[in-house]
Amino acid sequence: MSQPQQLPDRALTIVDRAVGWLARLGSITMVALVVMTGVGVFFRYILVDPINGLGDVLGLTLSITVACSLAYGGRVGAHVAVDVLGMVGGRKVTRWTDALVRVLGIFIIGVAVYALIKNGLCGILCGFLTSSLAIPHEPFYYFLAFGLSAYGVVLIAEFIAGLVHFSADVDPSEKSN
Amino acid sequence: MSNIEIGLLGLAILLVLLALRMPVATAMMLVGFGGHWAISPRGAIPSLGGSAFETSTIEALAILPLFVLMGNLAGVSRMSRDLYDAAYAWVGHYRGGLASSTIIGCAGFSALSGSSLASALTMGRVALPEMQRYKYSDSMATGAIAAGGTLGILIPPSAGFVVYAILTEESIGRLFMAGVLPGIMLASLFVGAIYLMTLWKPELGPPAEIRMGYRDRFRALGQALPITVIIVATVGGIYSGIYSATEAAGIGCLLAFAFALYRRSLTLSNFADAVMNTLRSTATTFLILIGAFVFTPFIALSGIPDALLDLLTGLELGKFGLLAIVLVFLVLLGTFMEGFAILVLTLPLLEPVLRSFGIDMVWYGVLMVIVLEMGLISPPVGVNVFVVKSIAEDVPMNDIFKGIFPFWIAMGVALFILVLFPDIALLLPNTMFN
Repeated sequence: MSQPQQLPDRALTIVDRAVGWLARLGSITMVALVVMTGVGVFFRYILVDPINGLGDVLGLTLSITVACSLAYGGRVGAHVAVDVLGMVGGRKVTRWTDALVRVLGIFIIGVAVYALIKNGLCGILCGFLTSSLAIPHEPFYYFLAFGLSAYGVVLIAEFIAGLVHFSADVDPSEKSN
Repeated sequence: MSNIEIGLLGLAILLVLLALRMPVATAMMLVGFGGHWAISPRGAIPSLGGSAFETSTIEALAILPLFVLMGNLAGVSRMSRDLYDAAYAWVGHYRGGLASSTIIGCAGFSALSGSSLASALTMGRVALPEMQRYKYSDSMATGAIAAGGTLGILIPPSAGFVVYAILTEESIGRLFMAGVLPGIMLASLFVGAIYLMTLWKPELGPPAEIRMGYRDRFRALGQALPITVIIVATVGGIYSGIYSATEAAGIGCLLAFAFALYRRSLTLSNFADAVMNTLRSTATTFLILIGAFVFTPFIALSGIPDALLDLLTGLELGKFGLLAIVLVFLVLLGTFMEGFAILVLTLPLLEPVLRSFGIDMVWYGVLMVIVLEMGLISPPVGVNVFVVKSIAEDVPMNDIFKGIFPFWIAMGVALFILVLFPDIALLLPNTMFN
């Protein structure tokens, strides 16, 4: 019979599920990027009638893809780190440093989310519009802030799980990477 | 505290954070934001938010997920197998021929994929069992795969060049073109290294038993025709100026998708895998770029690049002296730091210095990418080595590193040739669009 999960592990499972849904949305927007580029090429070179402002839409769609990818990247170990300490010091050192690094990560991601929301609030007054179609950047600032905060939630969940399994031989977050 | 002292303290803290295994992107964001705050508190928050948003909406950067997806779809549609078979038909019967086929296959696959890891992994799965069947030494087999894979970031489309272009405001198309001839030269040097190694120790790579007739050889080459179509449509389109690099990426992606559908090799499951792998690469690259765009203004504000320029000018090194020092430094850095990290960490410091010494940044981009390739196979953290290890679990790491050594030397030779003859890199970009 399988053992009931501890609360932090359950939290990680829930985070994984949420991040998975966000990643699916990112996948859809990525496919949309491919289709839009193809349609743009068809109109420009076959019909000789370029679509006005397609670049604006591509840029903003890209921002949604990026926002959706960040938390997923956090859970699958996509964010590049220099792992010499793990080889030299082993888990007895990294259990401490990982906790510190996650706290610092949560802090800077929090500040970045705040900065994005603050910039977004300034909106049209600050001239945050696309160049051709004048699409306001505001909602996209918020969506990127949402994507980054999802990565922040991943770091919080990993930090708590890391503390609960502090004495274990393997960090539960590293197992998933 | 002067701005330069704040800058140096920031760099020291950054190194400590990296040593503590903090992701490069968040470490750069933290130090960049903190340093900016210390020098100019009012600008720090708007700069952080602005940099994060602007990086995510650069239309030209759409090229990254598109080309990565193209490479992943090419892997799904078994194009790697076709490439390997074609190369095998032509050179497999020579001594070390299977290892040479792997290099040629990797070079071909690199023109479909911007990632060295994808090239090593995809080609490794095809080539390793063949080389083991013909009793190749483990070191030669794994070394060829790891080294061949590195061609992925030199031969266009290359994720390394895209990131470099965005950071230095150079043209992506010109950088792509600059990678073509050095990529072919490096692949030839790898084949030369295999030839010399098997001449010295024939048991490292015995020849295949069967020498194919020309009819079979051309049939194998015909199988690889769709790959040629995609390469001509993407790289050829950029070179002739028919369309932009982003458009080329979109077209390549659609062609790879169409070919996978035609071959009936595309299932919902492997399509989802290809897209999710692309999303993973997107996360890696964009978060690191956001970090770089937060970090760069801090370095500029600190005045370190100006101080570095004064220092190096005073040493009277000259263009080539400076280049030699920079390249040796980067090669050393590559032994313990990941390629993208080196790119984004060193460019803000070095770019103003290199430009003021009159160094062509497209040429330097090619040199830097080769140095990053060396880092990909350098002990102890060469990422490609770990990729190869994942498909050759029974081969000890020592054997893999032993096998890599001749290819590492070949890369050094390529670097030397390119420093002496910059035109190898600059010929195609300078003749683009006629």
